[in-house]
Amino acid sequence: MTSTATSPATKAGLFGPDAIKALKDPLWDNNPIAFQILGICSSLAVTTRLDKALVMGIGVTLVTALSNVMISCIRNFIPNKIRIIVQLVVVSGVVIVFDQFLKAYLFDLSKQLSVFVGLIITNCIVMGRLEAYAMGNPPWRSFLDGIGNGLGYMWILAVVGVIREIFGSGKLLGMQVIPQAVYDAGYVNNGLMVLAPGAFVLLGIIVWVQRSISGYSEK
Amino acid sequence: MNTSSNGYVMGFAVTVCVVISAALAMTSSALKPAQEAAKELDRQKNMLIAAGFVQPDEVKAPADLRRMFDERVEELVLDTETGKLVEGKTAGDIAALNKAAVAEAKAGGDKEAAKRALTRYRVLAVGAGTDGKPEAYILPVSGKGLWSTIKGFLALESDLAHVRGVTFYEHGETPGLGGECENPVWCATWRGKSIRDEQGHVVGVIVKKGKVDPTVPADKAHKVDGLSGATITSNGITKFVKADLDAFDKYLQTLRAK
Repeated sequence: MTSTATSPATKAGLFGPDAIKALKDPLWDNNPIAFQILGICSSLAVTTRLDKALVMGIGVTLVTALSNVMISCIRNFIPNKIRIIVQLVVVSGVVIVFDQFLKAYLFDLSKQLSVFVGLIITNCIVMGRLEAYAMGNPPWRSFLDGIGNGLGYMWILAVVGVIREIFGSGKLLGMQVIPQAVYDAGYVNNGLMVLAPGAFVLLGIIVWVQRSISGYSEK
Repeated sequence: MNTSSNGYVMGFAVTVCVVISAALAMTSSALKPAQEAAKELDRQKNMLIAAGFVQPDEVKAPADLRRMFDERVEELVLDTETGKLVEGKTAGDIAALNKAAVAEAKAGGDKEAAKRALTRYRVLAVGAGTDGKPEAYILPVSGKGLWSTIKGFLALESDLAHVRGVTFYEHGETPGLGGECENPVWCATWRGKSIRDEQGHVVGVIVKKGKVDPTVPADKAHKVDGLSGATITSNGITKFVKADLDAFDKYLQTLRAK
């Protein structure tokens, strides 16, 4: 993988080529879900509705970015023997803070996301970026890399969320979008879309489409 | 510096842990008031949902919910031993009242009575219809499921015999299995179930193992579908709903007699 290599110490501005690459790559070419097939569990679990998918996406983005910065700042002091557990402590700390904020200001959503906010700690994307990027790159670029990977995760979740909410419950962000007249004419919501297997099929199709556009193939 | 020496590793680990825990402790105490306010609003919202004044998927602003709660729901304090209302006390006094009751029962040396005294005083809410007359009696119900204490509200119609609505709003059951007790679709099946047999004795609502057979009268009147994969949660709900209804029944009977 290209992003695992330690970038040479180029002295470019805040948005030099390296920084842009760190931000843009994970959005498409090196997308954590479509390309690396990471974070699948949570993307099946929290995409029944768009608002859940978005909040989860924001959560993962913030957690990846902030823990990337923190680990990157102390990367030269972390003893190699305990680096994984140090990363876990930092990630858990950030996730708990995010969870506390949700409980205070978005109580309903926090109840619906239930265990999945806590499970961001075990999301492979977060640990993967820490190990692959933040341990070898300066804070600012690590921050952009975290934001990029979080957004790369979020847009796929949002696409799955939109499709599942429209076809599974006829709504979008809690608002009815499929008019009553359509139901009266015999249309029914697709039950498969509400369940995890429906998301699995959808995700497969999205990965397929993304890969055929980006031209990636398994070697 | 030798970053792989044991002393350095230990020191680093301790420092990281202390710094992170301090940060967590600060966030937690800073956010506590907001979290408690959110929890209280959720409690009030669930009372309104159980009473049928608000639909489970209805989006309402917090201020509207609070106003609606203040206008239509009145919280009373009930002494379940005597079956009488306690005048001049509010829901906030419940903990102190029960503490005093436990201390009193312990002084008497009766262990059973002390256990009962833990929940001797309870809140009972009356939901008024738009005409101001009592339309729903909202009873808090809670008890053990599989992993956790489940809390909910059971609202009765004004005949005090039929279920008007139910919500389970706080629990730590397995998501997708026992956690389905909060599913509004399942809760809606409670509506119209009778909590009393023909003699008027409390039988509660029974969460059946499997599906309810609508052709069997006893099933149709008193039972709801079981939660699949969650037998212990289902049985727990059956048990504590019955126990709580029994506790409230002394007072409910006096209301029925009127």
